[in-house]
Amino acid sequence: MDRRNDPPDPRETGNPYDTTDATERRDDPSGHAQDQGMAGAVGAGSPQDIPRETLGTRGSVRQTVGIGRSTETGSYVFPAFDNHHPPEKDLIDDCVHCGFCLPTCPTYVLFGEEMDSPRGRIYLMNKGLDEEPMDDTMVRHWDLCLGCMACVTACPSGVQYDKLIEATRGQVERRYERAPEDKAFREMIFQLFPYPNRLRVATAPLRLYQRFGIGGMLRKAGVMDRLPKRMKAMEALMPMMTRQQEVPDITAPVGEKRRRVGFIKGCVQRVFFSEVNAATVRVLSAEGCEVVAPKSQGCCGALSVHAGREEEFQRFARKLIDAFEDTEVDEIVINAAGCGSTLKEYDYLLRDDTEYAERARAFAAKVKDVSEFIQELGPVAERHPLPIAAAYHDACHLAHAQGVRQQPRATLKQIPGMDVREIKEAEICCGSAGIYNMVEPEPATELGDRKARNVLNTGARMIVTSNPGCMLQIQASLRRMGHSMPMAHPVEVLDASIRGEPVETLLDRR
Amino acid sequence: MDTRTKNVSLEDLQKIVGEDHAREATPEDAIDGVQPSFVAAPGSVEETSELLKFAADEGLAISPRGGGTKVSLGNPPRELDLVLSTARMDDVIEHVPGDQVVRVQAGIKLQDLQERLAGSDQMLGIDPPETQSGATAGGVVAANSSGPRRHRYGTIRDLIIGITVVLSDGTVAKAGGKVVKNVAGYDLSKLFTGSLGTLGVIAECNFRLHPRPEAARTVALEPESTQAAGAAAQAVLHAQLVPSAVELHWGEDERLLTLLIEGIPPGVEAQSDTASYLLRGFGEVRTLTDEEADTLGPSDGGEEVAVKISAPPAELTGVLDSVLGACSRRGVAPRVTGHAGIGVTYLALSGADQEAYAQIVEELREIWSRRGGSVVVREAPPAFKERVEAWGPLGSRLELTRRVKEKFDPRGIMNPGRFAGGI
Amino acid sequence: MERDGLISAMKSILGPEGVISEREQLRSYECDGLMNYRVIPELVVLPETAEQVQMIVRTCYEEGIPFVARGSGTGLSGGALPVEAGILIVMSRMRKILEVDIPNQRIVVEPGVINMWVSEEVANDGYYYAPDPASQIVSSIGGNLAENSGGVHCLKYGFTTNHVMGAEVVLPDGSMVNIGGGKAPDAPGYELLGAFVGSEGTLGIATKITLRIVRKPEAVRTLLAAFKDTEEAGGAVSGIIGAGIVPAAIEMMDALCIEAVETAVHPGFPQVGAILIVELDGPAAEVENQFEQTLEICEENNASEIRVAEDDAERALFWKGRKAAFAAMGRISNDYYVQDSVVPRTELGKVLKKISDLGEEYGMRVANVFHAGDGNLHPLVLYDNNVPGEAEKAEKLAGDIVFTCLEHGGSLTGEHGIGEDKKKYMPKMFTTDDLNVMQLLRCAFDPHQICNPGKIFPTPRLCGERPGPFRMHPVQKAGLAENF
Repeated sequence: MDRRNDPPDPRETGNPYDTTDATERRDDPSGHAQDQGMAGAVGAGSPQDIPRETLGTRGSVRQTVGIGRSTETGSYVFPAFDNHHPPEKDLIDDCVHCGFCLPTCPTYVLFGEEMDSPRGRIYLMNKGLDEEPMDDTMVRHWDLCLGCMACVTACPSGVQYDKLIEATRGQVERRYERAPEDKAFREMIFQLFPYPNRLRVATAPLRLYQRFGIGGMLRKAGVMDRLPKRMKAMEALMPMMTRQQEVPDITAPVGEKRRRVGFIKGCVQRVFFSEVNAATVRVLSAEGCEVVAPKSQGCCGALSVHAGREEEFQRFARKLIDAFEDTEVDEIVINAAGCGSTLKEYDYLLRDDTEYAERARAFAAKVKDVSEFIQELGPVAERHPLPIAAAYHDACHLAHAQGVRQQPRATLKQIPGMDVREIKEAEICCGSAGIYNMVEPEPATELGDRKARNVLNTGARMIVTSNPGCMLQIQASLRRMGHSMPMAHPVEVLDASIRGEPVETLLDRR
Repeated sequence: MDTRTKNVSLEDLQKIVGEDHAREATPEDAIDGVQPSFVAAPGSVEETSELLKFAADEGLAISPRGGGTKVSLGNPPRELDLVLSTARMDDVIEHVPGDQVVRVQAGIKLQDLQERLAGSDQMLGIDPPETQSGATAGGVVAANSSGPRRHRYGTIRDLIIGITVVLSDGTVAKAGGKVVKNVAGYDLSKLFTGSLGTLGVIAECNFRLHPRPEAARTVALEPESTQAAGAAAQAVLHAQLVPSAVELHWGEDERLLTLLIEGIPPGVEAQSDTASYLLRGFGEVRTLTDEEADTLGPSDGGEEVAVKISAPPAELTGVLDSVLGACSRRGVAPRVTGHAGIGVTYLALSGADQEAYAQIVEELREIWSRRGGSVVVREAPPAFKERVEAWGPLGSRLELTRRVKEKFDPRGIMNPGRFAGGI
Repeated sequence: MERDGLISAMKSILGPEGVISEREQLRSYECDGLMNYRVIPELVVLPETAEQVQMIVRTCYEEGIPFVARGSGTGLSGGALPVEAGILIVMSRMRKILEVDIPNQRIVVEPGVINMWVSEEVANDGYYYAPDPASQIVSSIGGNLAENSGGVHCLKYGFTTNHVMGAEVVLPDGSMVNIGGGKAPDAPGYELLGAFVGSEGTLGIATKITLRIVRKPEAVRTLLAAFKDTEEAGGAVSGIIGAGIVPAAIEMMDALCIEAVETAVHPGFPQVGAILIVELDGPAAEVENQFEQTLEICEENNASEIRVAEDDAERALFWKGRKAAFAAMGRISNDYYVQDSVVPRTELGKVLKKISDLGEEYGMRVANVFHAGDGNLHPLVLYDNNVPGEAEKAEKLAGDIVFTCLEHGGSLTGEHGIGEDKKKYMPKMFTTDDLNVMQLLRCAFDPHQICNPGKIFPTPRLCGERPGPFRMHPVQKAGLAENF
């Protein structure tokens, strides 16, 4: 159930507009109270979270359509949208054109152009509804949207931009003719990433590739630079392959059973970050949960729906709902931010499906992000000290889409000795954004580097974040800058604390 | 200079403003040695408009005059036929204490206005030294006069919210209004500030007011050196004090940096303490009595040449050093006063010859124009002003300034030759 | 000049990334923060240096092409509305902070710098930039300059015009001038800077702006007081001002506004007839004393509840609630028409009553949020565009509100500017002579009337100079202009 737009209780914490949370996070009150109020008005924690510079002025990425984009096709569809889930006029009308979303939009920060801002994109959608065709230009600007939803947090009028962009993307996928290589690339991604088994097989050679340092050799030989940009991007993102840990079908709680929860393994998560899954299950068990992880579960469909591939999404969603059908769990816990936000929207996304609508509603109501859940449950397991400075990075799909900001921080702060550092410009996306860093490598790189610089400036020794995509992206940027920093999911940190492991466990990795 | 028909008689003027209100001019009415033919005092905006229209038709060169305290400002007039006195237009049109706004006719004496406002515990936040000599509200606006309290309240430009002007062809126009917040149309009130009567006659002004402070105290520092003076001024600027004035007095016998602290008694008390504490590192600090504070005025006559230097406030030491250096090299003992927190310094020169003064001004102008400031000759014999132009260069603004003048006064009859840029 | 020729001319100045010419993209620039007026520009250009701006303007001057400058496009009067067949010059890529000069309490910025960045830049030195319009998080300094933006603190601290020390301006003929001292006060010559600020982009384009920064006050105290209705709240305001207190800010919101804001940003305001937010700042001893007085005055005026902000967080919350007011209207109504009228403070009570009566007469809801200290009202006329006839009714009601304010000695606009939206009311506030004299100024700066033409003045007047050898001014062609 998507609760983002119900007026929450202002005294309830975890509220996206909760400024008491914000200044608690910051110890140097920069600017006037008015500045803080202003920043808070757009949902930012502090004035420091609003970006200050645009790379546009430094000339690194200044994009307007028609400059060097090889994926234009001259496709021209009029009217732009058909009747199947077009972006809703009512939602579009909510926008009063005030522009408060501009400073938090990563593409506006990069390019400085109206069309690459939420306000501009909504405007294009509006025009598409009655007046303008869907063509290369329109699609270009919609494609450039990261779907980070910082604008949703910022918007004082409550425009549900997330629904608008998803509907638009669906229309684009169905009606716009992509260039053959673009189509092929996207198809390749979607034939691979939502299928853990295929992903495993396809990336098996990666272990050898990494073991023998082939990437380094290719870079030195200058071969890497001659690869197509998107290939280069993918190569840069590849994580270090580690030994895979399987999650058992059912795990008993430690001590008294407080809950029976379902666990979603994810796709990229279970293949590349299986230790996060293992840690999650251990933590849940330590907190008294019986954890059920149905073997038959597949992809949740988040990547697909964010890319507008509606039918594909619905197939995945139905299968996932089926997988959890008879498990009789109280909650369904997910540790990947990107998946969590979609899972919570299953009821909206499957609203037309007569067979699954009700089941989707029931399903979505149970979904909880793991940090959210742990805070709700209330910690019981003993936490051992972990004296380390860690920078917490808000994954967009956790912070903006689900409004979960305070809980992961609380989870970390409950560990004695943890020094949680705030990252400047926290509201700006790292550039991962689903498959964005693969299909739009240039802006993604700029954003990733920007985020990496902000992370380095915290002086922390490790990065903690709740999304595998973010992890890959930030690490790639750090590598590019000649740095490296160990990364972990909040639940991995908690796991290490509960197990009484030394700090080195977290630091000697990746 | 084109020939103008000057077949104007006193009766022509008297027909417009009334028999008693137009007369032939006397030597006292001369401006920098140029004597006009007539002086006329209209009693209303309509009369002003008629008078100006008449003058424009006849090609008379006009100089508006309020209290006559600033007639020496600027270059000598190229020609002068008629002095238009605003003395009769001296009413308060409207004063609504609850709105903190007052509307006046331009000829009202500032002193009278302040007295009137004091009755409601309010004041106009401008205190030019000429107040005592009969300066008028319109004159203050036209000359952009200011005094020590500009440190806190700004200049007249920051206090004026509406204006009614009469142009040289008789057109009457108003801009702004009687509300403090107003962005309807162009801000002509500001344009006329400091225009020295070259764009038109200011007939009415509206000002925003401030509450009169209850208590006041002056804290004075005797700075040990010019460095100390500059450093002390900086310290005050960057502290969280809110003084009403930060004044510098630097003469042969007396050197003081004074802070005027005003407000409610507990505030004045606390701030004076803070100020004293802050300044003690720069020299001797003491509190002045009211009498002492009153006697500390700007130079009151006796100087032969009065100069104003505007420089970045942080360069106070530099200004003082350059002034003292330039003067001592020519055997001149200057009296220096200034608004130390703003960057405005006044120089009163006496006791030497015109050539020395001219060199001093030129030297200072050379230094300070390059540093983004300006040096203006405020008062001097006409011959001096021929030698050293009163205002200094306008730079890139010259062209635009001329165009503005051309539009507002196409025939060039308003105070010709007195303003910057040879206007 | 043919369109293609123009495009290539612009591309040669800016490079291809600086020119936008595709139709859909141009459409996203067809309006600013006011959606009621839309004009698709011929071309949109995004310069990055002052020299580029000069070259663009020079080209426009030589070819007789009108142009409009735009910052972040958040203006509420249509000041950045493009001109038919004209170029839109977007300044958002000129975003550098050029010089920070704390000793002289000034900072030099490019026009695309966002208002709030200025305060952030100098925050660590204990300074801030005082004019704080509600849009400060996205509006640009150049735009603030054009509109002479105010904000909640302008009663005590003044507006943009009181905080601009100098500007480098590209005039409509492509030449560049430095107006205002920038470094030192009282530059000789006319007060051109004062005339330029608030000229709504009709006199030139500023490319470097020197701003005055202000030392943060020693103490700040903020309170929120709840009243039965705006009348009682107004009484408190009069009392506070009458006591000789100059609050840093004093804002009022009525019931509808409170409701909307609560839904949008949940500041937890009491749901009453009117609330007052009062902020005092300055030296600690003074603030303490006057704050006590203010509390007493609120109580004397029957405040049902008074909350004093205990810390920065709570104060930020009060302000968040106030600053989100306009946009929050979107939550309780499909559309709204925001007015920006000013009346003398002593007339506030009467005018509010009149507005409420008008609202009843028209059968429409009007929410009020305003700067109680200086009488600047923002009545928000709420309507639903989908109901036929409502939009027109709303406009008519808005017009009546404007006339009411003028009748009580007020002004058409306190901070949003005239732009496109309020042109038609100018003759109600100014006589023909008044407007003609203002246009003299415009003629001095922009004799060919190519710089944001058609804004502010309902009937443009040409300056008696022919704008280019072969081309009739489009405004003249449309029969709208007359010659001086």
